Amino acid sequence: MIIQRSDEVPDITLLKRFPVPRNFGVSAGSRIGKGRTWPAPGGAARIRRFDVYRYDPDSDGNPRIDTFHVDLDDCGPMVLDALIWIKNRIDPSLTFRRSCREGVCGSCAMNIDGTNWLACTRFISDLATPATIYPLANMSIIKDLVADLTHLFAQHRLVEPWLRSRTSAPERERLQSPDERHRLDGLYECIMCFCCTSGCPSHWWNGDRFLGPAVLLQANRWLTDSRDEATGERLDDLEDPFRLYRCHTILNCTRTCPKGLNPGKAIADIKKMLIERRG
Amino acid sequence: MPSTPTDRPRPLSPNIQIYRPQLTSVLSIANRMTGVALAAYAVALVAWLVSAAAGPAAYTTVQSLIGSWLGRLLLLGCTFCFFLHLCGGIRHLAWDAGYGFSLRAIYASGWTAVAMSMTLTALTWVVGIVLAGHGQ
Repeated sequence: MIIQRSDEVPDITLLKRFPVPRNFGVSAGSRIGKGRTWPAPGGAARIRRFDVYRYDPDSDGNPRIDTFHVDLDDCGPMVLDALIWIKNRIDPSLTFRRSCREGVCGSCAMNIDGTNWLACTRFISDLATPATIYPLANMSIIKDLVADLTHLFAQHRLVEPWLRSRTSAPERERLQSPDERHRLDGLYECIMCFCCTSGCPSHWWNGDRFLGPAVLLQANRWLTDSRDEATGERLDDLEDPFRLYRCHTILNCTRTCPKGLNPGKAIADIKKMLIERRG
Repeated sequence: MPSTPTDRPRPLSPNIQIYRPQLTSVLSIANRMTGVALAAYAVALVAWLVSAAAGPAAYTTVQSLIGSWLGRLLLLGCTFCFFLHLCGGIRHLAWDAGYGFSLRAIYASGWTAVAMSMTLTALTWVVGIVLAGHGQ
């Protein structure tokens, strides 16, 4: 009932999904059709069913859900292992991003059983039956589980995620006290996997103008940096009904962060900074 | 002939259709819906006051509507909406002041809001029924 850490897998839920029609607000080209069911591997003792979102840009077909059966005795323990197993053994055209396989790079962020997480750090044993794998929610899809992140990186660029200084460059590096450095803890660790932004209902409805939790966490990271000298301009840029204030403190972001960060708190701190500078 | 990838817009992956309801999002939407409901109840409150000003006949009609089975159910709903929205508002006040953002605090305050609004609704009705009994 009381979730303490974001890596806790919800095991008691009254509703698996919100009671809205499957095609509620979905454009014709985004509707999900029936896909293919691949036969279960022969001779396997432990089998788990995976329903995976597929989209092939080279055909005229709509997105669809394919069903795969994974032999757990032949496969590693994580969801990413299962996807690689499917790609190697069943359908080589299954497309997804992955790199580090240890929760550091953020490439394999996807919607697993209805919440966003990294495929490499979620255990297959924690999945529902059947397991459902979708790409990150509310994203423009390039192929299968690969989302187009162009817009999100453009939003990231908007907050100018680099050190801005007015004073001339010093002879040596700009120094920070250990205390000033510690203020960046919980902000700098973000791996930009966009689990939070993709899980934010406010970003679903206003993503064209609302910056979303991942980018606002980064905005806070540069506002908090003791070496940055553009705090005023940064706050000016954020003081906007859409860029910042479309955050309605829903806090899906904090619930879903695979790194255990707190974007909701970071955004609230920006709002506080804006109030405090009014005096 | 299949079209080239650039020929058609990319599909949007599903959002609310698949995202799992969690206490965070459910209480957020509940806060909004109870707010909308309370606005509607405010109109009903004005209608009740207008009927009282209009005279005994109109007032009796509206009173009988409120006293009906459906009227009482709506009144119960109104009480619950009021307390859930109140508790949600208090959570938002704490958040706006920068408190209660740990996941533990988010969930603890969320379930507290649910439990408190149910308790306060029940309490209000018990007190109301007892007082009404004494009035007769």
